[in-house]
Amino acid sequence: MSAIKLKDINFTYEGMKQKALEDIDFFMEYGELALLSGVSGSGKSTLMNIIAGIIPHVIKGQLSGEIYIDDKNTKGLSMGQICRSVGVVLQNADAQIIQDIVEAEIAFGCENLGMKASDIKESIDTACDRMKLDKTASTRTLSGGQKQRLITASVLAMRQKILILDEPLANLDMQGAKLLMTSLLYLAKSGYAILVIEHRLDSVMDYVDRVWHIEDGNIFMVNDKQKYLLSRAESINDDIGQILGQGNIMSLENVKYKVAKKDILKGIDLQIARGGRTLLMGENGSGKTTLMRLISRLIKPCEGKITQFIDKSLGQKRASKKWFRKVGVVYQNPNYQLFMPTVKKELEFGATSKEYAMEIAERFFLTHLLDRHPQSLSEGQKRLVTIASVVATEPQVLLLDEPTVGQDYQGLKRLMSILNDLHLKSQNTIIATTHDKRCIDALCDNTAIISDGVISACGTKKLAHDFLQRK
Amino acid sequence: MQTIKNKNGIYPLLSILTSIVILVVGLLMAKSTKGLYYLGGIWLLFLLFGYYKACLAIIPFSCVMSGIFCLATYAISKDTNATLSALGRILAVCVAVIPGLGLEPSKLVSNLSTLKAPRVLTLGMMIALSFFPLLVKETKKIREAMKTRGAGSILSPKIFYRAFLLPLVVRLVNISDTLSLSVETRGFEVGDKNFSVYKKVKTKWTDFVFAILFLAITILSVAV
Repeated sequence: MSAIKLKDINFTYEGMKQKALEDIDFFMEYGELALLSGVSGSGKSTLMNIIAGIIPHVIKGQLSGEIYIDDKNTKGLSMGQICRSVGVVLQNADAQIIQDIVEAEIAFGCENLGMKASDIKESIDTACDRMKLDKTASTRTLSGGQKQRLITASVLAMRQKILILDEPLANLDMQGAKLLMTSLLYLAKSGYAILVIEHRLDSVMDYVDRVWHIEDGNIFMVNDKQKYLLSRAESINDDIGQILGQGNIMSLENVKYKVAKKDILKGIDLQIARGGRTLLMGENGSGKTTLMRLISRLIKPCEGKITQFIDKSLGQKRASKKWFRKVGVVYQNPNYQLFMPTVKKELEFGATSKEYAMEIAERFFLTHLLDRHPQSLSEGQKRLVTIASVVATEPQVLLLDEPTVGQDYQGLKRLMSILNDLHLKSQNTIIATTHDKRCIDALCDNTAIISDGVISACGTKKLAHDFLQRK
Repeated sequence: MQTIKNKNGIYPLLSILTSIVILVVGLLMAKSTKGLYYLGGIWLLFLLFGYYKACLAIIPFSCVMSGIFCLATYAISKDTNATLSALGRILAVCVAVIPGLGLEPSKLVSNLSTLKAPRVLTLGMMIALSFFPLLVKETKKIREAMKTRGAGSILSPKIFYRAFLLPLVVRLVNISDTLSLSVETRGFEVGDKNFSVYKKVKTKWTDFVFAILFLAITILSVAV
C-alpha cells in the first residue's frame, strides 16, 4: 500500500494563465523519508497544498488528475477527513500559535481529532520529549526556533502516519536541525511516510531515502541522490579573502540586556574590526538577534557601553536617520521593510543616487522585477529586494540577520558573491548571523560565539566550522 | 500582568457570576454604609481564596479613583451622603473587577470547552486574546523597520500610509491566512461536535465553600 500517489496532476492558480504544476506523477511509500527540492517558486508548496487538500478546499484554482492517500481517492473528502491521515507542518510557525501554554497548543490538534484525554497526555509527553520542549512553558516567550519545534510537535502529537513538513529547519540551529531530522528518520523507520521540503540540503542529506526535484512545475525522481545533494550542499567559497581595515569600528563593553527580569545578555565584550566580516553564532534563543538590535541602536542596553568609531558626528546614543544611512539593517523577515509601490521606488528610496540604485538592481538580478509591487514577490525575492534596498544606501556597516533563509542553492551562491563584491568595493563592515553551514566561508573573517548571554569564544572561520561540527 | 493571576482560582464561570452579583448588589447598596461593609467582606473573602495579588493590585487604583470622584461629588453637592454613595459605587466596580483580574483567560476558555460550547467560540476567544499582544508586537516591529529604512516621521500622512499602515495590513492579512490554514490542517472544522477536551475544568470543594460564604455575606448584608 502506498501512502501517497498522484496521477497526472495539473494545476493553475485562479487568475493565472501559466500552469503551476504540469502532468505531475508522484508517490510515497510508508517507511520512507523523502525530500522535495527545487528553487523557490518552482511549485513545492503547491504540491504540498494539493496533497493536504488545501488545494482545492481553501486555495482555489483549476485542478485535474487523481490523488490517492492510502490507496483511496481523495475526491469528495473534506479537509477535515484528509487531515486525519496527513499531517502538515506549514512555514512561518510564529503566526500559527494560538494557545498560551505549550501543552495546550499541542493538545489543540488532538482535541480536534477527538482523541481521549489520556491519549492526548501521552501524545504531548512523547512530542515534547522528541522536540525537547517544556510543556508548561508559556508560548509567548519562546524563541523562533522553539516556536518552530512547537508547531512541529503539535502536528507530531496528532499521530498521522503521513507527514509533510514545509521548510521545518528554517529557524533551527544545527542542534535543532539534527534533533528534528533524527526524530523524523526514527519515525520513518517505524513505518511513517515523511516528506520534507527544504533548502538546507546539507542538513538533510544524511537522512533522506529518496529525493524529488521540482522545476518549472515538472517533477522527477533523482536517481543519483548523493551526487545531487553533494552538488548543492558544498560550502560556498570565499573568493575575496580578508580585507584588513584599521582598528575597530565598534566596541562593546560589558553590555547587558534584560526583558521582564529575564537576563538575555549578561555582559558582552566584543570588538568589531573595521572592514571585517563578523559572524555571530549561537544556539536558538542565545541572544544573537538581541545583540544585533543593540548594535543597530534599535534598543538600548540596560548596562554597559557600545562605542562606535564610524563617524564622530553620529554621536554615541541617538538612532537618527543619518545613523541608519551609515548602518544598514536587514531584518530576518523581509515583509516589514518593504513599503514602496514598486521595486524600483523601493530601491531608490534612501539610495545614494538613482544611478547607483539601478546598478544595484542589476547586480542583484532584479531588473525584470522593477515594476512589480514588492509585496507581490515570492519570499526569496522579497529578501533580495530588502537586502538590495539597504545596500543601495551604501552603509558602512551592514547587519544581516539570517540572510540565507528561504534561498535555494543558486540564489545563495549569487547572494554571497554579490555581498562579497560589494564588500570588496566599498570596504564595508559586515555583521551577520546564520545557521547555514554552506555560507560560513563566504560570510566570515571573525567569529564570535554567544552562549549563556556572554561571548564564549572568538576566532576565525575555523571556529565557526568547529561550532557547527560539535555535538 | 501575568503575575497577578490566581493559578488555583475558583471555577471560572462562577467567578464571572460573582463579579456580576457584586456589581449589582454593590451598586444597589451604595447609598448606605452597609454597602461598604459588604464590599469589605467580599474583598476579604477573595483575599482568603488566593486572589491576594489581584486584591492588592486594585488598591492604588481604587484609592485614586475614589479620591477623584469623592472630591468631585463633594465639591458639587456639599453633601456627605452623596459623597459616600459615590465612594460605594467606585469601590463596587473595583471589587467586582478582582475575579476578572485573577482569572487566566485560557482557564475560562477550557471551562467553556468542557461544557461543550461550540469550538468556533472558544477558538475565536483564544485568537482574540492573542491578537492584541500580536498587534502591539507587529506595530513595534514595523516602527523599527521604518527607522532602519530611514522613513522618518510617522506624522507625515504619506509616510504613515506607505511605511506603516500598508506593511501592517499586509502582515496581518498574511498572519491570518497562515493561521487559518494551520488551524484547518490541524483538524479544526466549523460545527464539528466530536472534539475532546484535554484538560477538563472540574469543580472543587473550595468552589462550594466559596459559593456558600459568598452567598452568606451577600444575603446577610442585604437582609440585615
